[in-house]
Amino acid sequence: MATGALHPIEVRVLGALKDGGWVDFDSLLSGGLLPDQVRRSIEWLLSKGFIDVEQNTLAKLVLLIPTAPELLLLRRLKEAGRPVPLSDLKKDFKSQDEFSAALGRARESSWIKVESSAVGSFVSILDADGAAKLERLLAHLARGAEEDALPEELRPLLPDLIKRGIVQKTEEKSTRVRITRDGLAALEAAEGGRVERLTPDLLATGRWRGKELRPIDVRAPAPRFYPGRRHPVNEFIEEVKEAYISMGFTEIEGAAIQPALWNFDALFTPQDHPGRELQDTFYLMSMEDDSIKREGVVDRIASTHEDGWRTGSRGWQYRWSTEEARRLVLRTHNTVLTVRALESEKEDLRVFALGKVYRNESLDYKHLAEFHQMDGAIMGDGLNTRHLMGFLTGFYRKLGMSEVKLWPSYFPYTEPSLQVVGYSDLAKDWIELGGSGVFRPEVTWPLGVKKPVLAWGLGIERLILLRLGLDDLRVLYDNDLGWLRRRATTSIAGSQTLQG
Amino acid sequence: MPVVKLYKDRLVKLVGGEKRDVLQRLPYIGLDIEGEESDSIRVEYSPNRPDFSTDYGIARALRGILEVEVGLPRYEASSSGIAVLVDRRLANVRPFIACAVAKGLRLDDETVRQLISMQEDLHNGLGRRRRVAAIGLHDLDAVVPPINYEGVPPSFSFTPLGGKNPMTIAEILEGTETGRRYSSVLPDSRLYPILRDSKKTVLSFPPIINGNETKVSTSTKNLFIDVTSTDKRVGADVLAIIATTLADAGASLQTVEIKYFSSSEATPDLSPSSMPLDLPLIRSVTGLDLAESEISSCLRRSRLEPSGTTVTFPRYRIDLLHPVDLAEETALGYGIDKIKPVYPASDRPGEFSRQGKRLEKISDLMASSGMVEVISYELVDESSFYKKFERSAEEKVEVGDPRSIDHSILRDSLLPSLLSILSRNIKEEYPQRVFEVGRVYHRVGKKVEERWSLAAMIAHSQASFSEAKMYMESFLRTLANLEVVTSPSIHWSFSDGRCALVEASGRGVGHIGEVKPSVLVAFVLGVSLAGFELDLSNLLPREQLK
Repeated sequence: MATGALHPIEVRVLGALKDGGWVDFDSLLSGGLLPDQVRRSIEWLLSKGFIDVEQNTLAKLVLLIPTAPELLLLRRLKEAGRPVPLSDLKKDFKSQDEFSAALGRARESSWIKVESSAVGSFVSILDADGAAKLERLLAHLARGAEEDALPEELRPLLPDLIKRGIVQKTEEKSTRVRITRDGLAALEAAEGGRVERLTPDLLATGRWRGKELRPIDVRAPAPRFYPGRRHPVNEFIEEVKEAYISMGFTEIEGAAIQPALWNFDALFTPQDHPGRELQDTFYLMSMEDDSIKREGVVDRIASTHEDGWRTGSRGWQYRWSTEEARRLVLRTHNTVLTVRALESEKEDLRVFALGKVYRNESLDYKHLAEFHQMDGAIMGDGLNTRHLMGFLTGFYRKLGMSEVKLWPSYFPYTEPSLQVVGYSDLAKDWIELGGSGVFRPEVTWPLGVKKPVLAWGLGIERLILLRLGLDDLRVLYDNDLGWLRRRATTSIAGSQTLQG
Repeated sequence: MPVVKLYKDRLVKLVGGEKRDVLQRLPYIGLDIEGEESDSIRVEYSPNRPDFSTDYGIARALRGILEVEVGLPRYEASSSGIAVLVDRRLANVRPFIACAVAKGLRLDDETVRQLISMQEDLHNGLGRRRRVAAIGLHDLDAVVPPINYEGVPPSFSFTPLGGKNPMTIAEILEGTETGRRYSSVLPDSRLYPILRDSKKTVLSFPPIINGNETKVSTSTKNLFIDVTSTDKRVGADVLAIIATTLADAGASLQTVEIKYFSSSEATPDLSPSSMPLDLPLIRSVTGLDLAESEISSCLRRSRLEPSGTTVTFPRYRIDLLHPVDLAEETALGYGIDKIKPVYPASDRPGEFSRQGKRLEKISDLMASSGMVEVISYELVDESSFYKKFERSAEEKVEVGDPRSIDHSILRDSLLPSLLSILSRNIKEEYPQRVFEVGRVYHRVGKKVEERWSLAAMIAHSQASFSEAKMYMESFLRTLANLEVVTSPSIHWSFSDGRCALVEASGRGVGHIGEVKPSVLVAFVLGVSLAGFELDLSNLLPREQLK
């Protein structure tokens, strides 16, 4: 007989039947097995001929209401020992319906009679023992008697009680099982030569020799598990930082809240520039940096705005306001950090700043109010536009762009100003990457910097969308746990172009 | 950035070159292609080049780049004999005016569309939404000079452009859409600027609306242009850009005499300006090793005129501030696409910032302990941050005029964001364990302090204080062998009796606990939550974290 391997649950079920007698289904559950598990193994074991199964149906009667209203009525009349006015009896019942039913049944069975007189209707007893059968039946049911055990003469009363909802009849199926001879043999085989797992005891005693591990169903599904992991945006940021660092750049950092002086004025952005307005930039209301005074570097910046100071520029030709420069903004770009680095560091620089920037935007598929930028700057003798192009080409090659083009553009703080577009091998199209240029003398001279400075401000989110094959920026920050858990890591970091 | 629509055939005709060349070179003079249809193309131009606000200005630049016509475009204007008398009382209202006359125009529908679109762009850009400068175009033949630029009371009435009946100034300001939109541009002075001729015909109520009598149509042959301003230089710039465009459209220009109380001048002044030609500067910025003659021809292709040690540039090039600007002009004349990149080599090693590296390690550790990283916004809404926790919003840090109330305050904790995220993910399998490392903002006196925070939240039916503590302690031990003490405390996110202050070396560094049922209900969460938030700026030594 082809039995196949016994599942451990089957072994446990057979084990419980070892003694050979009939065993109830319920007693098989006591070993910690679930009803489904037992039910399934019974099916398997039966099909293998290892057990006999017997199924019985048992009718069960449950008394839902302890007594019938007509009995209540009869009892009340017996207690009174004389005819009782109809209206007095009514008070003992929950409802008119119940009373009417009790009265009706008692009259039908000729237990009582109702007589009308000048002073009202009276109820009196006709047959004091008429209800004896019903009382006995209810007493049997209250003790939990089964239908078969009821005395013959009482049984005809049952259907009416069931119909009236006083008694409930349920059918209970019971299953009992018994081990067969083949079953006993299979059990012995399973317990003797095979083990479920290697226990420390088996290993220590050497008893593992001669035992076999029970073969398992290697095709069966395993439970799902979600490992912890980083957010895809941060995974990509790591990659960008590594690209920068491999090219000799030092990471710099700084506050998100910046005085307008550094976010705008130091970058030669005139104070009435539309980009500085509330509708584009987040300002912290009723707060300012009152440490800013028109002296030293601040004065040089201010004078450059007004008339060009000593830079050779004609400047923006307006009266510069200290108040405006003291206002606090959420940085609109990270070039605020690179320019502050220029102010404090006079040695040749090669820096990048990567972090969030903030713009007062309504959110849609291509705009966010908070996003990341990876801005950088190089200061050094002899640097020029060609080096800017060279850096950007090399940098983006590391990030998976085979070609980079620079187109003329405009920023108040660079000359020339060049827009960066790159050819994405993934999208098979040119996409905008950011802005770049050579800092104007109006930016560098007030900081005391005379060497050329190449600078750029580049977006990150669009590159991530490309990598992930998405087209809506908002998706990146929805924090959909299903996506964060199940997305493939290679979608961010698997492409061979990443290795540069 | 402003956008201008160009009809391809018209542009090609204005340039006089090959169609393919004309369209191909658009990006190389700084125009971004926004969209293209079979007969037209929409381009975005930078606000520093308001001369690109019509196809005439763009054609002028393309003629240079394509060598149809190089060097300085010249503009001449004879006198019109017309005078504008300026009321000295306007000195505190809208003091300056500059005017021009353009004769012999043939206005077709497209030219009128271009002029209107230019006017709109100049109003919004250089004119700073009409506050600094505003333009009026009028039919000269309906005007009888001399013209007065004078102050009138709010009761003064005239028929505004498009109107049928006279309205008072007050009615226009309060009762019309344009009036309401721009009334704040004028100072509150009870005196309003009006431009009217010798027959009392009102040309304009600047910067709000023109008069109806001098309306321009396609049958208009001769134009009178006024530009009123609060900044004389900007007014003159705006007028120069309009005048040169009209000249390119075929008009002959004439000047107008502006008579102030103690001075007078003829406008427009179209004389070119000049700046020094700094050849070494140009070579060093562009990286192009060009001979003087090559630089000269590049500049001439950019419609400039080098001569000896100076470069003359046309009046409409208001963007040229410094000799360094000639570097870009040279590069454009040379062709940006022809410049060869050179990699700027460096022998320095690169370096992560200490703080950046530290925060990175922290996030890696949290992820390796089985938590999923999330990134939420720093700008948040008041309801999720204060109301749902029934805590006072007194210390909140607000930003001015946010476009959405969902991004109106700066968060002071990461916990509410984590709860919002879990609340959006109730359909996803439990247990859920998430964390975030991010910036938070605290009001300290009159200042706002930025701090780095780590928060984690565990969600499942059995989530407990003890599980949160297990994650927190193992994280801190693995990170820096840090041992912390937890003592009973209260916190707006956590249930009393299930909340503790976390202390390291006697300093409070955060809170841990089981989230309050009222908060769970407010976030529509149906499972227990336990979590913690640690102030990383306070937890780690200064040298490790700034």
